[in-house]
Amino acid sequence: MLFLIVIVGAMMSYFSFKYINDLPTFLGGKVFSSSIKVEVFYYLWTLVLLYIPVFASVFFGSPAISSEIENKTAYYIFPLPINRYKLFFGKYFAAFTVTLFIIGIYLVFELITLTYLLGTIPVTYFLRSFAMLILFILSIMAVTFLISAIFNKNTYAYITVFVIYYIVFEAGSFIVELLYKYTPVYFLNEAGSIIERVYINVNVENPFISHLDINPAPFSAIVIAAMVMVIYTVISLAIALLLFEKKEVS
Amino acid sequence: MEIYMDGLTKNYGKIRALDSINLKIEGHGCTGLLGPNGAGKTTMLKLTTNIIKPSKGKVELNNINVAMYPEKALETVGALIEQPEFYSYLTGYEILQFTARIKGLNKSEFASEVKRLGELTEINDFIRRKTGNYSRGMKQRLALSVAMLGNPDIIVLDEPTFGLDPKGMVDIRNIIKSLAKDHLVLLSTHLIYEARELCDRTIIINNGKIEYDSAMSPERDLLKITAENNVNIISDKVKNYSRDKNVFIIEKNKNFSNAEIISELMKQGLKINYVEKYDNLEDIYVSVINGKVIDNISS
Repeated sequence: MLFLIVIVGAMMSYFSFKYINDLPTFLGGKVFSSSIKVEVFYYLWTLVLLYIPVFASVFFGSPAISSEIENKTAYYIFPLPINRYKLFFGKYFAAFTVTLFIIGIYLVFELITLTYLLGTIPVTYFLRSFAMLILFILSIMAVTFLISAIFNKNTYAYITVFVIYYIVFEAGSFIVELLYKYTPVYFLNEAGSIIERVYINVNVENPFISHLDINPAPFSAIVIAAMVMVIYTVISLAIALLLFEKKEVS
Repeated sequence: MEIYMDGLTKNYGKIRALDSINLKIEGHGCTGLLGPNGAGKTTMLKLTTNIIKPSKGKVELNNINVAMYPEKALETVGALIEQPEFYSYLTGYEILQFTARIKGLNKSEFASEVKRLGELTEINDFIRRKTGNYSRGMKQRLALSVAMLGNPDIIVLDEPTFGLDPKGMVDIRNIIKSLAKDHLVLLSTHLIYEARELCDRTIIINNGKIEYDSAMSPERDLLKITAENNVNIISDKVKNYSRDKNVFIIEKNKNFSNAEIISELMKQGLKINYVEKYDNLEDIYVSVINGKVIDNISS
């Protein structure tokens, strides 16, 4: 995962250096102000960044609970004098921390490259994006832990996380947008897209999007997305915790 | 030190794995759980160590309910259940270190425990290797070290010699023998000779129920005597006896030694060829599993 992130960060840096002056060509020759250029480049970097928490949660979160049963380590850990709540949150925050560390490497690439090329950091937008990113990691990790707590086999957990994120959430928001011309902000992927939309309010992953706006997402959109992610986090963790507390190795 | 089970019941769906078990084990010594596969031995141990939760009833360890207060109840317990696996990316030392942290040992206590357990369970040669590369026997020895770390009052062992080579079996049995001197050891095994060798008290479980408990009906002190001839034995030194051709099963009066019994039998005209301690537990086990009445064993 670490290796992958270094490769992705290096590639993004390479493409940024290569295409730093080609942005108007890509966007039909239109001339943008320098501030828009900054936001577009940060937006593009963040667009790629959004995939990292999903992959990291699959990698670190999916087997977090199920592997204890499948690998029989539960026979070692469950009889120890430790509350299962502590065990659960220990695993959860370990997965969160390692994901944040990996994302931190990507952000270092981003900040160094874009500061060198553009000479500026849009601090307010960057911090908003980072705060939303942390919420997104917490929420996607919580959903993944919930799925992991349901299953006793790692493979089922891996597959279900992928299915839920890429079919239930992604395809679901596609369909809702297509049929009802309405953006389902209550889907986690839509809420997570706020990480990039704090720069430019466009979700390019959804071609049927009803909001097309070169300006940053309004504060109300940020609050709604944050609330959605918090709700996902709290509900998923509560159910996962209950399941883990009652988990048996039979 | 005490293990107390009250109406302990465990259902897996419609299957009742353990049925209203009432049991009290007090003080040091080794209590053996015997029974065929699927009898409920491991279920009982899993309930004792919070790996599973009871459907009804409770288990208390030193008067603390395991299901309700597992963290507190398990403070004084070390367990080896089934064939445990460890996190393959950690070394044996790191596993012990992690366990010590959970059990609240400080650095110097941990260092002396590693030294003690390293010598006792002979894990020193491989303790710095990652557990993913351990053999079954190595894992079993490490698991025993984990169970004994911090010197807990109660040690719960589920078939601890399973999968070990003969030397490993002997080593582990010697460790259990020495543990039983000042710990409460609850041992599950399906090896009768192991239970006979190690346990002060034997409990036979079948179909989720306790069918025999040596604390309730102690094993009788029996001698098996092979003789050249047949005589009717009448002596206050012999409580009861059975005869099959020239083989006598003698139930001794406990006030008399084997030598006194043999001397008495010889006085009564019995020409003795061979004397051995009669394996009562094996007969009890077979009778329990076959559903026979235990009292008929030597009659």
